[in-house]
Amino acid sequence: MVANPILSLSNLVIGYNEPLVEPISLEVGEGEVIAILGVSGIGKTTLLRTIAGLVPPIKGSYRLKVDKKGGLGYIPQNLGLVRHASVANNVGLGAGVRLEWTMFSERRKRTEEALKAVGLTEKSSEPVRRLSGGQKRRVATARTLAQRPQLILADEFLSELDENNASAVMEAVHPLVVHGSSLIMVEHNPKYVIRYASRVWWFHDGAFTDLSAEEWEKFNPTGGEEA
Amino acid sequence: MMFRLYGAMTALILFAVIVVNDLAGGDWGRLAGGFDNLVVFFNQSMWPPNWIIFDPVTYPVCNSRFEFMCSIGYSSMYETLQIAFASTIFGFMGAILLSPLAARNLRSNWIGVPVRILLSAIRSLPALIWAIIFVIVVGFGPFSGVLAMTIYTIGYLGKLQYETFEGMNSGPLEAGRAMGLSNFSITNNIVIPENSNHILSQLIFMFEYNVRHSTVIGIVGAGGVGFFINNYMKLMYYDRVFALLIMIFVVVIIIDFMSYIARSFVNEQGDIRRPSWLSVLMRMREKKTSSKQAD
Repeated sequence: MVANPILSLSNLVIGYNEPLVEPISLEVGEGEVIAILGVSGIGKTTLLRTIAGLVPPIKGSYRLKVDKKGGLGYIPQNLGLVRHASVANNVGLGAGVRLEWTMFSERRKRTEEALKAVGLTEKSSEPVRRLSGGQKRRVATARTLAQRPQLILADEFLSELDENNASAVMEAVHPLVVHGSSLIMVEHNPKYVIRYASRVWWFHDGAFTDLSAEEWEKFNPTGGEEA
Repeated sequence: MMFRLYGAMTALILFAVIVVNDLAGGDWGRLAGGFDNLVVFFNQSMWPPNWIIFDPVTYPVCNSRFEFMCSIGYSSMYETLQIAFASTIFGFMGAILLSPLAARNLRSNWIGVPVRILLSAIRSLPALIWAIIFVIVVGFGPFSGVLAMTIYTIGYLGKLQYETFEGMNSGPLEAGRAMGLSNFSITNNIVIPENSNHILSQLIFMFEYNVRHSTVIGIVGAGGVGFFINNYMKLMYYDRVFALLIMIFVVVIIIDFMSYIARSFVNEQGDIRRPSWLSVLMRMREKKTSSKQAD
């Protein structure tokens, strides 16, 4: 049991028509970093989409203890950026969610801070469509940073990034986690899982196992390969 | 997949031929000699175009320094462009307010269905009928033309826009919804910028459409170049009608170039190489030269 959980899943059955995995009952505490692992098509993204309220659960329920407006940050696999808008506008969208619309200077400040954290200050006026795949991932991360949500759902947000940039992005996210935000990320690279996650939800053969990072490292079911 | 597509296309074409055959009563012989009639009519009545339309006229009174600006061709085209511009802008404002309410991926059917019915109702009356209605309401002249074209633009552009919104990538919408953005914010900050290329293209297309349609509504007295086309046709001055049609054609081509340049600011091609006016014209020259060389 987790004290003061920010997310509680209770017998949650996920999927579009058919259940993808057995019913899930879990809790996520404040400041936890959870990595979801498993082969493609096993339901990792569907779980994130269900928690984000984009896919209704087949059965069971989940409870989010976050602010309705801006309490949840979601970085989808395709990043969900507005391609024809500038980098600053995309990040500003995140910054503005939890602010009154008149707080322009605070919004600008948060946008600039987030862009600085991911190293994209110089690209702030570029349209997103002109950026590389890795830069787009950093914009999506900056949008979430500027939003300052209580729970971040990130679907493969470190993929396409080289090790330095992935580390920089995680370093940028770290202050949020320190301040109590939780992060649930779908991640394939075991290196990042070992380095950053406190728990691992391992999806396999229609079942899932909840492991601490140490437990996962000990018997690493993927044998150190990308999951 | 391709086989099915070609099969479906062939079936549709065959069906269309059967429909036309039914409409024509099976009398395909009417086509024979029809083109010759057109050639005779064109040679005897329309060619050469009569550029008298660009000669200055004494009535209505014109105080311009340039004689050209006092011609029927210029003044009527100017009025047509005024009608088209005003109605496109007002129509666009109406459409951009209604279309996000009509898109299935942005609003529930409780809101979407009534708005879609309203847009369909507007479109079900052609611009010409709207023009007749507004001529009755506010009398002859370009003002009734502006009102008619504005209403029609809302219906037409609204449909184009909501169908574009429905076809957009769901990623940004889902990210916005998960973040807790309001519907207004999603529309304003995600939907409109993400579809800016299409919105701009449709806006300029609508302007071009309204320029062409302003000629039609002029026939019922709603102003513009159509008024003169109608009068010249009644007087059988087909050579002047032809000159007016050439003038409209040139304006439409210019609008098309404008669309090409404007859209380059919001698409990937423009990022690589933004066309200049010169490059648009030069490309035509290059094409002409290369086709001459081919001859």
